[in-house]
Amino acid sequence: MKKYLFIMMAFLLTVLVACSDDSASNDTDQNTDSEDSSESTEPKQGGNVNIPIVGDPIFNPWHPNAYAESNIVNRVLFQGLTKPGLDNLPAPSLAEDWTPSEDGLVWTFNLKEGVKWHDGVEFTADDVAFTFNDLVLNASLGSNGASNYKAVKEVVVVDPHTVEFHLDRPFASLPAYLAFNSEILPAHKFEGVENPWEYTEFNKEAPVGTGAFQFDTYTSGQSLTLKRFDDYHNGAANIETVTFKILPDVNTQIAQVLSNELDAFALEDTSSLKRLESADNLEIVTSDTTRYFWIATDLTNPLFQDVKVRQAMLHAIDRQAIIDSVLSGYGTIANSAITPDQEGYFKEDLPTYEYNVDKAKALLKEAGWEDTNGDGILDKDGKDFSFEFDIALQGDLEQMAVLVQQYLIEVGFDVKLNTLEWNAMIQKNIIERDFDMILNWWAYPTDPDVLAQYHSSNAGTGNNIPGYQNEELDALLEQGQSVGDPAERKEIYDQVQVHMAENLPYLYLWYPQALSVRSDRLQNVPDLHFGGTLHYINEWWVK
Amino acid sequence: MLQFVIRRFGQSIVLVLIVTIITFFLMNLAPGGPSSMMRMDATEAEREAIAEQLGLNDPVIVRYGSWLINAFQGDLGLSLSSGQPVLDRIVERFPHTFNLAIWTVFFSVIIGIVLGIISAKNRNTWKDHLINFGSVIGLSVPSFWLAIMFILLFSVNLQWLPSSLVTGDSIWDTIKMYIMPVLILSTATLPTIVRFTRSSMLEVVSQNYVRTARAKGLKERTVVYSHALRNALIPVISIIGVLIPRMLSGTVIVESVFGWPGMGRLIVEAAQARDYNLVMGVTVVVTILVVLSNFIVDIIYSKVDPRVKNIG
Repeated sequence: MKKYLFIMMAFLLTVLVACSDDSASNDTDQNTDSEDSSESTEPKQGGNVNIPIVGDPIFNPWHPNAYAESNIVNRVLFQGLTKPGLDNLPAPSLAEDWTPSEDGLVWTFNLKEGVKWHDGVEFTADDVAFTFNDLVLNASLGSNGASNYKAVKEVVVVDPHTVEFHLDRPFASLPAYLAFNSEILPAHKFEGVENPWEYTEFNKEAPVGTGAFQFDTYTSGQSLTLKRFDDYHNGAANIETVTFKILPDVNTQIAQVLSNELDAFALEDTSSLKRLESADNLEIVTSDTTRYFWIATDLTNPLFQDVKVRQAMLHAIDRQAIIDSVLSGYGTIANSAITPDQEGYFKEDLPTYEYNVDKAKALLKEAGWEDTNGDGILDKDGKDFSFEFDIALQGDLEQMAVLVQQYLIEVGFDVKLNTLEWNAMIQKNIIERDFDMILNWWAYPTDPDVLAQYHSSNAGTGNNIPGYQNEELDALLEQGQSVGDPAERKEIYDQVQVHMAENLPYLYLWYPQALSVRSDRLQNVPDLHFGGTLHYINEWWVK
Repeated sequence: MLQFVIRRFGQSIVLVLIVTIITFFLMNLAPGGPSSMMRMDATEAEREAIAEQLGLNDPVIVRYGSWLINAFQGDLGLSLSSGQPVLDRIVERFPHTFNLAIWTVFFSVIIGIVLGIISAKNRNTWKDHLINFGSVIGLSVPSFWLAIMFILLFSVNLQWLPSSLVTGDSIWDTIKMYIMPVLILSTATLPTIVRFTRSSMLEVVSQNYVRTARAKGLKERTVVYSHALRNALIPVISIIGVLIPRMLSGTVIVESVFGWPGMGRLIVEAAQARDYNLVMGVTVVVTILVVLSNFIVDIIYSKVDPRVKNIG
């Protein structure tokens, strides 16, 4: 009885919603003034922009709990020495230019003059030195992202507008890393602060940055409003205020952008894509990112040590079919860790592993794995090829894993899927390194330096999850870090990509494209992924 | 009465203590740790540094002991995620949920009792069937689905109501903000009250004293409202006592969908982030509220029903 009633009710409500659908977003428009619909290219001053975030932000990019929602806000409040340029190379931000020493062990950054903090104090080299020496390089604090700066020994103030990064070893990617969630904090606000993570007067209540917008009001769990900073060193922003609405539910975000209550955000879930695409007031922007999905097998386990087995696994998985279904087609097949948006380094002609069950079986046979007893499972020396596949319950990961499991079963692997909550997954798979196979993704600054995820020194404890150890790759990655000349680096990373594609330290799955939803009232937003556009929010304006 | 109050108070303290022990140990037994340590790209050294800072290297029993001593002094510690005092975080979130809960219970009680009486008075008629049908629907429909449908209909398509908590200028703006969350939450509470009132009324109207009242020639209205309803409401009061604390912690779905910064969301966020101090703080506050509301209900119960006066 209950079941029928529920179905009836569901049907009635769905019909009701669908019937009034067309009157949706194009009727009354709360944000758009009809008189301003002219195609003017002159930036208009004023207005408010609404952006959703999923949780309460922390106004400190180095705080160990500063996640995606904080990164979005901190990109608007604060600035790094560099920022991602429109060409994906590091562009000037608080630093005007930078040069490495001949031996690559010292990087000199010339800072922009006349930059003011939101409280009117002048920004100087002391702020850079404080941020790095006192926070990032202070090992006892465990700053978020500190591991990116392992090569940095200290930051030395040369004069109020010049700093030097002194390194232990050459680090050619330093300017690129500085553009990646590495904003500078005001030294004068942290004077006398014992524990910077418990300094809530700054981190949660009244942050002071150098960005185009300054703190205005904040209600926990509800919203944060930033207002235009008139003394911004690149000229005051066009928009008057930016409101970050805290909306943990993606369905609410979609409903609000359809009703013009939101203006822009990154779309992680593609299930509502069609509805968003059909809305008159919205555009969907796609862009490449430095994110790639992979499968890591435990390379200390003899089952996965033969490269033919790993190659066979990739032949067995129809990656394009998964991209088409789970990512709604927004992605391309990955063959290495270097992503397509790194135009200067991305190598197209790499060995790839097309979906081919026969090839997969042939490779497995070469590796000694065959279904000799007819039970449908591959075996060798009387032992079945059985393993567990751990997957975290987050986003689309489980959906992807279920499909991968089916493909692997098809060629004779005995795969048991084991779903874990994110926190539990980190504990088991990453900290304890207790897994046979996992599926996840990496994202990194726009630079081909991926040493952290591949170097033998990081196997077992660091970010080298599969525990891949190869001297040839180690040497190439070290060279890549020490060489500054782009042409020379390109050669090195070409070899890195070939090595990866042939040897499969990770099983490369796909490079997802980033989808951003954007209201048509927003103007002059660069063609970057949503996170990247925030670095240019001072140039946006609203119709 | 005084003896009853003292005994209940003693029992309550023991109850709160047991709840904190179970929560603390269960939470620490769960795999993983505070999310600051559980980043995919964090190194072992970073994890160790954070564990040291958060004082997580001491044995669980020692940590519980020091938490308990501080809690007795009114210090619930700092949130492991934000560094803010736990009490501050609860205080800033509590009013939102409290308002939502009060309005939902108020709405559910008024409408629920009225519908319950109508249903009972018109037993087995179309009115009774209609109300029962509505109750079943209310209990069966998942609130997250209904909430999304409401948003699509009333916010996106009709644009009558805001889909999330916004700062309104007028009373009407505030009322508009509450309409959808209260309606959605009521779909779970209203049917319960309707059904309790109905069955309780049906039981009471067959009692001798109601028959006597009718035999005395009293008006039907007087019989129903003065004689039957007062007694029929006794079990309903106990249900309200259960609903209020449940609402204070159980509004998580509605709070998430409507972007409502309340306690339900806080609990889930704290548990997911393994923010041990915050989970403990919220648990203590919610447990105290449950105990308190049950206590108040017992007292009201004894006032309304003289038979249970000597409850102690």
